[in-house]
Amino acid sequence: MDVFLTSPWIPAEWISAHGLQPRAISSAQNFQPGRWPLAAGECAFAGAAVRFAEARPDCAVIFSTSCDQLRRGFDSALLAGQSHAFLFNLPATWQTEAASRMFRAELVRLGDFVLTIGGHRPSGDELLQEMERRRETRLRLLESVSATSAREFAEAAAQFHWGSHGRDTLPPVRLSHARQAEDESIPLALIGGPFLSQHWKWLDELEAVGGRIALNATEWGERSLGPASDEPMQGGPGARASSPAAFGVSPKAFETGKPSIKAAASAFSDSLAPPSGERGTPLADLAGTYCENIVDVFQRPNTRLYAWLKPRLASRQVRGIILWHFTGCDLWRAEAQTLRDRFDLPVLLLEAGAEPGVAPRDLNRLQAFVEMLK
Amino acid sequence: MNTALRQLSLDQWDARYAQLRRDGLSEPSYGGPLRRHVVREKDLRLQQLLFDNSPAALRLWNFLLTENGRLHQARAAGHKIVGTMKDLGTVPVMAYALPNLRAFYPDGAWWTPCLMECSDKLLHEAEKMGIDASFCPVRAMLPAFENGRHFPKPDLLICSTGAVCDDFSAIAQRLEHLGHSILWWEIPRRRPPAAGETACVLPGDLTAPQSQVDAVRAELQRVACALGELAGEKLTDDHLAAGIGAANQVRGLLNSLRQSVYSAPAAPLPALEMLIAEMLAIHYCSDRAETVAVLEGLLAEVQSRLSRNEFIISADAVRIFWVNPVADLRAMNLLEELGGRICGSDYMFTHALDLIPENLPPLEALARTALADLMVGPTSDRAARIVRECRAHRAEAVVISRIPGASHCAREGKIILEILRREIGLPAIELEVPPVSDPMRPALTSRLQALLETARPARRPIGVSPRKLVSSHSTMPKI
Repeated sequence: MDVFLTSPWIPAEWISAHGLQPRAISSAQNFQPGRWPLAAGECAFAGAAVRFAEARPDCAVIFSTSCDQLRRGFDSALLAGQSHAFLFNLPATWQTEAASRMFRAELVRLGDFVLTIGGHRPSGDELLQEMERRRETRLRLLESVSATSAREFAEAAAQFHWGSHGRDTLPPVRLSHARQAEDESIPLALIGGPFLSQHWKWLDELEAVGGRIALNATEWGERSLGPASDEPMQGGPGARASSPAAFGVSPKAFETGKPSIKAAASAFSDSLAPPSGERGTPLADLAGTYCENIVDVFQRPNTRLYAWLKPRLASRQVRGIILWHFTGCDLWRAEAQTLRDRFDLPVLLLEAGAEPGVAPRDLNRLQAFVEMLK
Repeated sequence: MNTALRQLSLDQWDARYAQLRRDGLSEPSYGGPLRRHVVREKDLRLQQLLFDNSPAALRLWNFLLTENGRLHQARAAGHKIVGTMKDLGTVPVMAYALPNLRAFYPDGAWWTPCLMECSDKLLHEAEKMGIDASFCPVRAMLPAFENGRHFPKPDLLICSTGAVCDDFSAIAQRLEHLGHSILWWEIPRRRPPAAGETACVLPGDLTAPQSQVDAVRAELQRVACALGELAGEKLTDDHLAAGIGAANQVRGLLNSLRQSVYSAPAAPLPALEMLIAEMLAIHYCSDRAETVAVLEGLLAEVQSRLSRNEFIISADAVRIFWVNPVADLRAMNLLEELGGRICGSDYMFTHALDLIPENLPPLEALARTALADLMVGPTSDRAARIVRECRAHRAEAVVISRIPGASHCAREGKIILEILRREIGLPAIELEVPPVSDPMRPALTSRLQALLETARPARRPIGVSPRKLVSSHSTMPKI
């Protein structure tokens, strides 16, 4: 059975170790066919997730509590009769032992749910195998960041989250012809919520007007591949595992260009490697690594997001930020001013519209933004 | 039945106040004519409201409208000020357990644009701070923090996070980015216990896994430590037990008031005053002892009216269950003007009305109470309580009042409407009330009129309920 995940922070390894197929809901071809319905105050992404769950009773959908609308979307899906829905409680806090415990407990609960829909209880080895498979692909994806176009990276990341991983299934990383023009184009960061295949045309349009995405920090992009921080964390149980020492990355690693990206990729992947003696069981190791490496806007405080962004924006010489969000997404919209203040960069808000393509008005905005930065 | 009692406009209250003074009205230190809040504080909206005409209501309004001033006085008197956000009812019980702490909800600033008819420009200022009109009016608290012209800057800020509204959480995060340090504590999304899992009974006829209660208790322990540190005195179980006892006194009074008003054949107290009174539960309007006095006064007035068979709103009015607080207080008047009355309410803090268990270790009891917040659990739980109370108070229709920009309203209202339709088949509508609803008044009026006109023909003689209303069979989905 396919198990669709609404957040990259729900460990897919755990699902596949149970013998079922985890898939990012955002990578589903039929996630939102046609126009995005825009209802007052309703997040179009959450609405699409609910409709998808209602239309696919043969699949399971794992909602998360990372936002109010997905949380209540789960309620809607159940009310509509979707019996294979599960709500994963992602803690918003991250600096306490209680948050880590909560995450681990949710993983156990998720495992129990997966058993009820046809999964089998995995052995430690099965889980380790799945962790290793994903570790390799994450590593390759992160290594490919500097060598691929933004669109190629987005496609590869989407494929990874769809469940294609390993050397055979992931398309080979190739140098794009677009990279030749890299030096003249304006490096930008794309930060925000889910950026789906329907939206990838944006990346082509952006390149056509002289910009390029040097950092894809959307929900299922580079941000979902780790590591959480290059700065030592202030206290909390996460400090040990996600600190530079634990990852084997120097605090300045991201400021030195491509090799540092590789080092960081390797560091994060190492953290998903077979368990260290300190962590104990593979499940505890998996939980610990995820919990400690969540980089998202919903966390409180969401300083880890800014700590993650800071070295990357600097090392990739980003000159502007595109803040991508769905209509009704308060969590991302509220960060616009802080992003401006914190990084002293211009921020352009782009909203996923009703149409899958690029609206002329938005294209104009994009053009003007890039022109301004030239 | 006598409905000779009248609601008064502000102008009429001027004369009424003068008469009461001549008759020897005794008032607390914050007392005075309502008019002064317009003159001094620019609470212009008062000029558009209708008020209950009792001295008890006068005291209630003066208590509400002097809160910021009283907080400043408390600060000057050496009290530490705690700003507690979002949890609506739990952390203040803890804070007031220590003698030199005063807790209040900066969230309450969401009514300031209404009261001041936006003359304060808080919403405009919030927009300049990056939080525009797509967010809930609670964004007014952002500039209120910055300009210091409303409440005093708290010595400690505490905010619940996790299963909370996105808009509020985002605004609070923006506040922290602006330099106001926040102690975040996690309130997980409440879920039903799984088979084989240790279950825990919560207030409000709810259950949750003991593991969730344990997690919340651990979080509240962190809050307790921070409060103790601020107060310079450890917050002990004895303190907390006393605080819970005092909270339950307030909750008990409110329950008596709600029961008396909502179950009466006609309304002995208007909807607006009931809304304000219920709000006192969440942080005692910054003065716990005075809250008790205010509520005792209101309850005595209601009981006196009931004994005299005197009512403000006639028995003919359609009995409405109201869901969510309104951003514009005027909306409550409007409902009554159109021939409705409130017979039940869920203003988003029912967990602050339920009694806190006193037979448990205090933090355990508070954790259970916090988890009993209907806003942090499945929407079906909230709907179930609404259904129960509609039945108990023989509601004839339901209004779900949407808060502009509030993330929970987008989906929650639809779910509640669907469950209401399945369970009791009452006419129900959603409507959105902005902070100053005057431009929307024709639309609000016609929607409410349509609801009332739909409900009236379905009316049975009192005591004879529609079949569905007395049905004991529930098809409520378990979420």
